Amino acid sequence: MKKKMIAIGFEGSANKIGIGVVTLDGTILSNPRHTYITPPGQGFLPRETAQHHLQHVLPLVKSALKTAEITPDEIDCICYTKGPGMGAPLQVSAIVVRVLSLLWKKPIVAVNHCVAHIEMGRIVTGADDPVVLYVSGGNTQVIAYSEGRYRIFGETIDIAVGNCLDRFARVLTLSNDPSPGYNIEQLAKKGEKFIDLPYVVKGMDVSFSGILSYIEATAEEKLKNNECTPADLCYSLQETLFAMLVEITERAMAHCDSKDVLIVGGVGCNERLQEMMRIMCSERGGRLFATDDRYCIDNGAMIAYTGLLAFAHGYSTPLEESTFTQRFRTDEVHAIWREKQESGDLSGLPDGGI
Amino acid sequence: MAAIADLSDAPNQWEFSCDLEVDFESEENASIVYAALGVDKELQPDKVKRQMSISDGKLSVHFEAVEARFLRASFSAFVDVLTLASKTIEELGPGMVL
Repeated sequence: MKKKMIAIGFEGSANKIGIGVVTLDGTILSNPRHTYITPPGQGFLPRETAQHHLQHVLPLVKSALKTAEITPDEIDCICYTKGPGMGAPLQVSAIVVRVLSLLWKKPIVAVNHCVAHIEMGRIVTGADDPVVLYVSGGNTQVIAYSEGRYRIFGETIDIAVGNCLDRFARVLTLSNDPSPGYNIEQLAKKGEKFIDLPYVVKGMDVSFSGILSYIEATAEEKLKNNECTPADLCYSLQETLFAMLVEITERAMAHCDSKDVLIVGGVGCNERLQEMMRIMCSERGGRLFATDDRYCIDNGAMIAYTGLLAFAHGYSTPLEESTFTQRFRTDEVHAIWREKQESGDLSGLPDGGI
Repeated sequence: MAAIADLSDAPNQWEFSCDLEVDFESEENASIVYAALGVDKELQPDKVKRQMSISDGKLSVHFEAVEARFLRASFSAFVDVLTLASKTIEELGPGMVL
């Protein structure tokens, strides 16, 4: 019998390029990543981001293999982010993965970025069947598993919550290092005065672009007249956005009759969001599961782990189909590894590999 | 590895064209790059066409476009990924040193 199955995973859908090596039980053997950090006041654009990934991807592969202390021979499959994300950055991972698949003679597994966040969150926290709030710079969705797929119960109808925060950070010309959201969070801790902002929940969905326009338009004036401080604005923006997220998450919990919540995605490492969600969960007699920046923020291990789950259940992607796509919804993926688990074909995932 | 790019005036369907040839001096490496880069189709097939072929360890690519700017964009993007694929073989292929 073979020893534990091992996968290497490539993530490069946004401004981080990360390579992870994992085993099927979720052990992370290595997970290096590099972030493209733009100057204050500027966002990251597809072309420049792809150039960043081009420069860093190969050294990261070497570093991932070296830290994991494995050779290419020991790898069972090579996983990559198929989408959603920015096209040019996604292509970098896809190209390297195709070449490696041919060089090392290993199968490819295409992975949905959103599903990878969910699976990583589940294995790290041990949450079995939670309502998932996936919040990042590009995505905002409330998700729950039902009959073979991760179904989207609510989502943003325009920009992602992280995009709203990032773009407000540009208005204040906060640093993008380590991330604009982190610097907003730190500044918000010093906020004292709550400024009323629009609150936009539409049924199960949320909208952030109007809130951003409003705060962009009023911030300069308010700051100039000393009506409030940048800290007050950060505090007010966070409180408003996160209250909206807690509201739609709570509504999804009522729909699904579920008590547990798992927060994943880059914004998920915000401690204020976690605190607000924890209060709501405890009022409903449930638990909050969240992770820190190592797993919340895009990384290669989450792609490797999710790809390996699919691979262990017989799924792989032929080379000709190893494309990438900017749009790839969470509910398009058939989560075969969860179905088999539920039908009792496998009593949990086997320890020694299949 | 040697590359030749020239704007030839051979008869084409579209006005702007350009050819690129890369000699990998290896059948295997040429076919790996050919297979890896062939997966991604041109994003605007009504404006740019790309045809690839391999023979004798060489990869030949023919571009055609309706406007020079589409030709430039397509060519430039292709050279980036071609370089990435070649470097991947060089650095992570047989004889790789960690």
